[in-house]
Amino acid sequence: MREAPRLGPQVACGGATALQNELPMSHTRDADDVADDFELRLRPLWLRAQAGDEAAYRTALQRMAVRLRAYLRRRMQAWPDEVEDLVQETLLALHLQRGTWDASLPVSAWMLAIARHKLVDLWRRHGRRAQELASLDVLDEHDAPAAGDHEQHLARRDLGVLLGSISSAQREAIVLTKIEGLSLAEVSARTGASVAAVKVQVHRGLKKLAELAWKTT
Amino acid sequence: MRTDDLIQLLAQGAGAAPRGLVQRRLGAALLLGLAASVAGAYAWLGFVPRELFALSGPGFKLGYAAAMALAAGWLSMRLARPAARVEMAASATAGVLLLAVVVGWLAWRATPPDVRVGALLGHSWALCPWFVLALSLPALAALLWALRGLAPTRPRAAGFAAGLLAGALGAGGYALACTELAVSFVAAWYTLGILMAGLLGAWLGPRLLRW
Repeated sequence: MREAPRLGPQVACGGATALQNELPMSHTRDADDVADDFELRLRPLWLRAQAGDEAAYRTALQRMAVRLRAYLRRRMQAWPDEVEDLVQETLLALHLQRGTWDASLPVSAWMLAIARHKLVDLWRRHGRRAQELASLDVLDEHDAPAAGDHEQHLARRDLGVLLGSISSAQREAIVLTKIEGLSLAEVSARTGASVAAVKVQVHRGLKKLAELAWKTT
Repeated sequence: MRTDDLIQLLAQGAGAAPRGLVQRRLGAALLLGLAASVAGAYAWLGFVPRELFALSGPGFKLGYAAAMALAAGWLSMRLARPAARVEMAASATAGVLLLAVVVGWLAWRATPPDVRVGALLGHSWALCPWFVLALSLPALAALLWALRGLAPTRPRAAGFAAGLLAGALGAGGYALACTELAVSFVAAWYTLGILMAGLLGAWLGPRLLRW
């Protein structure tokens, strides 16, 4: 099973130990094929995305969102209305952390490790112990209901509203580059900040947004 | 906000992913921590004569600190990436620790029985681990800060690895100021200092490494 390689003996990690085995040993052949297929289709897109191809990045994120939704829905049956919040939080984390991926890692395993991190975090916030999550981890997300992938995928918490509460410089940088679609150079010319500074503002703003999202769950 | 809109927002103007992010962040923290440790040892205690490092004990200090920094640095880099395999780096780190203890034990065995205890305790055994720990603190702070901006999915393990790396840097700085000569002294008390820094990192990890 390539999807989520075992992370090996724990050096000093306590509660989450049982979570390292993403999928059971008795995995069915079909599910393996589906997982391999997902990785095979995603990887070339992801490589182009990492190199700066925005269309490939958008497509990759869309495919990842579908997969994350299925993965999280199976594990969040107690809080179905929070699934989309966590999908968005994970997508934001994938974006902010995309520098930690390298070509030696399977994209799907990297993505699911981040999703699991966000999921454990959510469980802690809900006051559950990680051990309880372990029992859910043997679920197979390929069996997740496919229905709903044509829905609007509205989150309970609106990141658009949260965008209103980050600093004005960060918000301006995000709105101009990401919503109005201006280039970094154009934003730099308009605001008087250097290109590097605009880039930093966008990154910090998204990071702040991720923190706010975490706090409002 | 719909998820499709969020994806649109993230991809718009995203550019290429930053390259070598893990190496850059951890490398900067490592250099900062090493500089602080060496400067601290000089300002606080003063350096010992350079000729001393031709002897086996002081030479062993520097070799041990360097090997530990390499292994724990490698482990920290692996733990900063989600889903990266850590077995080899963890084995290397454990191997360095084990090797130091074995070398120390052999040196202890080779020491004439009547001076063994004196060699092991030296004149500063009760201070040495604390100096190593104290000199490792700037490195630990810098490394935890660096890890916080990366993606450690196992915060306690990542904190432990960062602590061992910081401990190795603290030991490297202290080696320049330490007048002890016995290999068995180094194997015992430097190791204790490095492990103390590691445990502090493991305690801080789950508290600080949130992302």
